[in-house]
Amino acid sequence: MSSIPALSALRRLRPDRLKELSLVALIALAVIIFGLVVDGYYSGRFFNRVTTSAVIVVILAAAQALVVISRNVDLSVGSTVGVAAYLTADFLQNNSGAHPLIAVLIAVAVGAALGSINGLLVAYGGVPAIIVTLGTLALFRTLVSLYSDGANVTADSLPDWVIELNGSTIVSAGGFDLRTTFAVAIVVILGLQWLLARMRWGRRLYAIGSNPDAAAQAGIPARRLTMWSFVGSGALAGLAGFMFMVRVGTVSATAGSGLELQSVAAAVVGGVSILGGTGTVLGAFLGAILIDTLRLSLVRVPQVSEFWRDAVLGVLVLISVITDSVLTRRLSRRAGSAGVGNRMEASTQAVEPTASTAPSPITTPVGLATREESIDV
Amino acid sequence: MKKYPLTKLLALLAALTLMVAACGDSEESTDAAEETEDTADAAEDTAEDAADTTDDTTEDTMAEQETEDSEAAASGDAVAISGTESITATFLPKCTNIPVFPQANDGAVEAATELGSEEAAFVGPADCGDATGQIEFMTNAVTQGVQAIMVSNNAGDELAPSAQAASDAGIPVVSWDSPIPSAEGESVFVAQVDFDETGQVMADMARNILGDDGGQFAILSATPEAANQNAWIAAMEEVLAVDDYANLELVDTVYGNDVAEDSVDQALALVDSYPDLELIMAPTTVGIVAAAQAITQEGLCDEVKVSGLGLPDEMREYTLSGCAPEFALWSFQDLGYLAYYVAYGLATGQIEAVEGQSFTAGRMGDFTIEADPTRDAGLRVLMGPFTVYNESNVG
Repeated sequence: MSSIPALSALRRLRPDRLKELSLVALIALAVIIFGLVVDGYYSGRFFNRVTTSAVIVVILAAAQALVVISRNVDLSVGSTVGVAAYLTADFLQNNSGAHPLIAVLIAVAVGAALGSINGLLVAYGGVPAIIVTLGTLALFRTLVSLYSDGANVTADSLPDWVIELNGSTIVSAGGFDLRTTFAVAIVVILGLQWLLARMRWGRRLYAIGSNPDAAAQAGIPARRLTMWSFVGSGALAGLAGFMFMVRVGTVSATAGSGLELQSVAAAVVGGVSILGGTGTVLGAFLGAILIDTLRLSLVRVPQVSEFWRDAVLGVLVLISVITDSVLTRRLSRRAGSAGVGNRMEASTQAVEPTASTAPSPITTPVGLATREESIDV
Repeated sequence: MKKYPLTKLLALLAALTLMVAACGDSEESTDAAEETEDTADAAEDTAEDAADTTDDTTEDTMAEQETEDSEAAASGDAVAISGTESITATFLPKCTNIPVFPQANDGAVEAATELGSEEAAFVGPADCGDATGQIEFMTNAVTQGVQAIMVSNNAGDELAPSAQAASDAGIPVVSWDSPIPSAEGESVFVAQVDFDETGQVMADMARNILGDDGGQFAILSATPEAANQNAWIAAMEEVLAVDDYANLELVDTVYGNDVAEDSVDQALALVDSYPDLELIMAPTTVGIVAAAQAITQEGLCDEVKVSGLGLPDEMREYTLSGCAPEFALWSFQDLGYLAYYVAYGLATGQIEAVEGQSFTAGRMGDFTIEADPTRDAGLRVLMGPFTVYNESNVG
């Protein structure tokens, strides 16, 4: 087997990279297959559709990865999107001359403030993240409902740049646009990836998620880091709220509801284990792109009726996750060094990337992803 | 259309129902478009001055919506519903977070104040996607022993058992905006406009926008289960079957579930799937604004127009830009006002839910309860009329 050069190159790759490669392969496969069924599918247009549509979930998947890696979860991101989108839109309708960057800052600050509530309760209150964020999921949503009093902020009352931003393009080649919003999302993803993979702060998050006890013994300030991971997740959800306002134009009090499950699904499909300690932001990004590609493709397949679409999407996501985990395991076995890494060892070293394979991604991601998809998307 | 067999079946069924229950008021609908100037003002008025302006429009409204026979019945013994006591009531919308429902509630509050009654409790699912959530609210209202329930049904016939339980407990159940299809457990349905008229108005707007040479268009609806949207679409398809509309080709019906993001995705998918598409018709206030936004952002306004049922406040931007040259709606505040009057009249025994019962509902004037021609069973009160908005009256 090692006679194939590509495979010997794989040997040098870490499991995380293998996972990401296999997701890229799956996305390519999905695009090829759908292209055979849907007319005019291989076009810049569809690429633009996916990239503009995925921005929100991509940013939220990164937010989710941040907390999930440290063995927490943030179910309040959807409501945070709603609060940030509504407050930002409300600010803009009263201050139409404000610079776009001010609006972004407001959205991010609102998100970070809400995230800090989660962070305080989880890190210093000792309440499990799932309970805290389930509570704030409802709480934040109620706040925006009460604040809005059922009234939408309409596109009419927003500055023109809000509506134009979603269509604005940095470069375009052959119908393939690099939209501004997607470029921002890419920058965010790469920045976070670098932060988590290369900075001490990020490596410590992995350590906490891998083995909290060992992390504590190694002197890692788990509480402070957990707190900041929630602030970060909230800030990213705030940014996603800004993106939501830009994409939809009319912001209601229900803005962003249901996105929390999509973000968990995207992160988990992308290889971020809900058991903590494994996965990458890049993987979460690819997971979001994969799900969104499948979703938007299905909308274009006339043979799949409205009533079946969610079920079909659920099955496709399931198949992807299974294929992905089989592929990842095969590749890492071929690569030789698989399974040697000891999670605890890796985490106590704290600066080393976790070398373990993903802890049986079949069981957890499948359950989550399918349940979410069949309910919501 | 062959892509959605079940949808087609439903539409066919609804169309059949409409044909069987042959009603005579479809001819009045074509002139709804001309009668717009005054009502346009009324529809967008906010709560504080709505009472004054709608007084002027009530005459138009009445002249418009009353058919000859109902006028004869009404002229005799219309009961003027008056405030005799304070009642407790529940005002149950499809969901609380779509602006039209708080607007309807404003009307109900206005009516309650006039009648010296307690404000009805405005409760319901937060999310319109939660179709069966209403059942719980309905059941709770019965347990609390309210004296009247007003509901915009979002749960199809699944709501019927809980509505029946309310009726059995002697509580009048007045549906508004969206009826209980089987009419089980429902006292009377306060219809915003005639469902046939909705189909007619949508077809007329499509023809106005597409021009004499016609073209392809698609429908972007709410959920596949929404009773009112389905009935309107069926009514529109019926109108399209007439020769005058032969040039209009309905290529697809898709559903955005009254969720903004889904509606944006669906609208763009339509544009991609049908390169010759010239119009998206969205009979939902969420869908129409999402479609207009999506088309605007992608710079496709010259190729694809948007129309349907929308709120003037939300659509103004796109109507003035020419992306959504025409759309229609009725006043949700009036609808809530009328629904409260009917519920109050029934709860206090001033009127009965029987065919031919005439009554006067405050500022809105005289109405008559009639057999609902759009359903196999059930009674309705028809409010009407439509206001068609374009750049001249969108404000």
